Amino acid sequence: MSGGSFTKVIQRSLRLLALAIACLVVLVPLGYLLLNSVKPQNEMYTIPPIIFPSHITFEHFEAAFNNPRTLRFLTNSLTVTGITTAVTVVVSTMAAYGLSRMGLRASVLSLIVFVFLFIRFYPRITTVIPYFLVMRQLALLDTVWAVIIGHLGITIPFVTWLMLIVFQDLPREVEEAAEVDGASPLQRFGLVALPMAAPGVASAAILTAFLSWNEFLIASSVTKRQAQVLSIAVASFVTDRGVQWGPMAAMAVIMIVPMILFALFVQRYLIRGITLGAVKG
Amino acid sequence: MSAVVATKKRRRRLRHDWAWMAAFVVPAALLVVAVQFYPLLFSAYLSTQDWTLTSSQSSEGFVGLQNFAKVLRNDVFQRAVRNSALITGTAVVLEMILGTGLAYLAVGSSRIIRAVRTLLILPLVIAPVAAGTLWRMMLNSQMGLTNYLLGFLGIQGPDWLGNADWALVSVIIVDVWMTTPFVLLVVLAGLSSIPDELHESAALDGASRWKSFIYIDVPLMAPLLLLTFLFRMLESLLSLDSIYTLTLGGPGYATFTMTYYIYTLGLRSFNLGMAAAASWLFMSFATLALLMVFWLQRRWQTAQ
Repeated sequence: MSGGSFTKVIQRSLRLLALAIACLVVLVPLGYLLLNSVKPQNEMYTIPPIIFPSHITFEHFEAAFNNPRTLRFLTNSLTVTGITTAVTVVVSTMAAYGLSRMGLRASVLSLIVFVFLFIRFYPRITTVIPYFLVMRQLALLDTVWAVIIGHLGITIPFVTWLMLIVFQDLPREVEEAAEVDGASPLQRFGLVALPMAAPGVASAAILTAFLSWNEFLIASSVTKRQAQVLSIAVASFVTDRGVQWGPMAAMAVIMIVPMILFALFVQRYLIRGITLGAVKG
Repeated sequence: MSAVVATKKRRRRLRHDWAWMAAFVVPAALLVVAVQFYPLLFSAYLSTQDWTLTSSQSSEGFVGLQNFAKVLRNDVFQRAVRNSALITGTAVVLEMILGTGLAYLAVGSSRIIRAVRTLLILPLVIAPVAAGTLWRMMLNSQMGLTNYLLGFLGIQGPDWLGNADWALVSVIIVDVWMTTPFVLLVVLAGLSSIPDELHESAALDGASRWKSFIYIDVPLMAPLLLLTFLFRMLESLLSLDSIYTLTLGGPGYATFTMTYYIYTLGLRSFNLGMAAAASWLFMSFATLALLMVFWLQRRWQTAQ
């Protein structure tokens, strides 16, 4: 073996070793959470800790699902995420198409983009309290609608911004040809531009779903009991007096495992969505 | 010839279309005004009012800038500003270094590398409340996995969440764990946009990997890296969920950040006036950072 290829082998091994360590740093905490969710109660609080349970128990999950509130958290989360995603995608895709085809001056368009950026990054906490007061006024407190409307306020500007980037990148020739052939604006949007933008729409929908499912601040400020979602259920264990690791871990698993599976399934669109805003702006 | 006709026809249709396109924008615009702009203005009004929701159902009058003065003099606010600067400053620098490094290691299309990339981005999709919960168990000094593993190395692990200094370190660890993958993804995307020929010709000229990183990649990706840095800085400053489930701001006020301070002021003590004033102080800083982001993006776009 020549010296050159020897250093190459070393380099390659070091690279794989570093990546393996990084993977462990990601996976070990997740594995630990899973183990805690299936660990029997009496093995939970020992010193030194028992990492691998002597047997696997589903008692924490059973307890969670025997509680009618858990089912409500789950259905509320599904309702909020479903409606938020559907409304966001329709409203934002239309708005982005409109903005990109209105023939706005570049300066006006960049002002609009700044507004989108501002809404994405200003301290959300500023508007949460006024939003709470408005919802109280409208008697919408503790309804899923208060959560959904709050989420739409974040997701619609964000997704409109993403879709604006997508539509501005599309070639105009096809739309112009359709226009010459007498297609109406609605037909040009629905039959020409939308199919070309479909991957972007998929990315936007997926990002919206993650954002809505994981959101905590708005959901916690406008709900009390009826309309609580999973993020609040997970956070609620923190303020409990006693340590309840089993139920706490089980609830966290209920919240994150569906999203991890979903993420693996739609990985390509998810990554595109995450990098789109940062790279293209 | 037909191109000229098409252009003319487009011009003619433009005014008619404009109404359609504006109609497309209206629903989104209405919602943004109702859910973002109106509460923002409302909050500006609240910042000048003496109003604590637990003692009164309506405002007890105009107090000018007194709320701002009270916030600025408040010990907890000052501590929160310091904590925020420390946590965000440290976490974001670590994320940039680790994310960029990992991106270089994770370039490639082999099966193993693709699987590694999939694993590495998992923390991005996990709810921050759940990440905080998960690390609350990991970092428990007696029963947690972290100190158990450190024990194998002969290290007596600290009281992560019970000691004021280590609690700050814990918050930084969780921020880094959750969002390094974001930097990784953005840098990977940036790297893929650098033409291979540049690296190849540099290698032919005898440049080392390190040299081509410093002289080719860094200058080409500088705007992207700076933008990522600012994005991460803003997001880290605003993060609340993971601190809520990890430390609840404790022990004492040790991990109160600006966002967490405003949260407790507004939604625990219901001091609406002071919370709004603190929000606007925080907002003025965030807006400065945002203007920088915006300016960079414009500059970068015109440079391309």
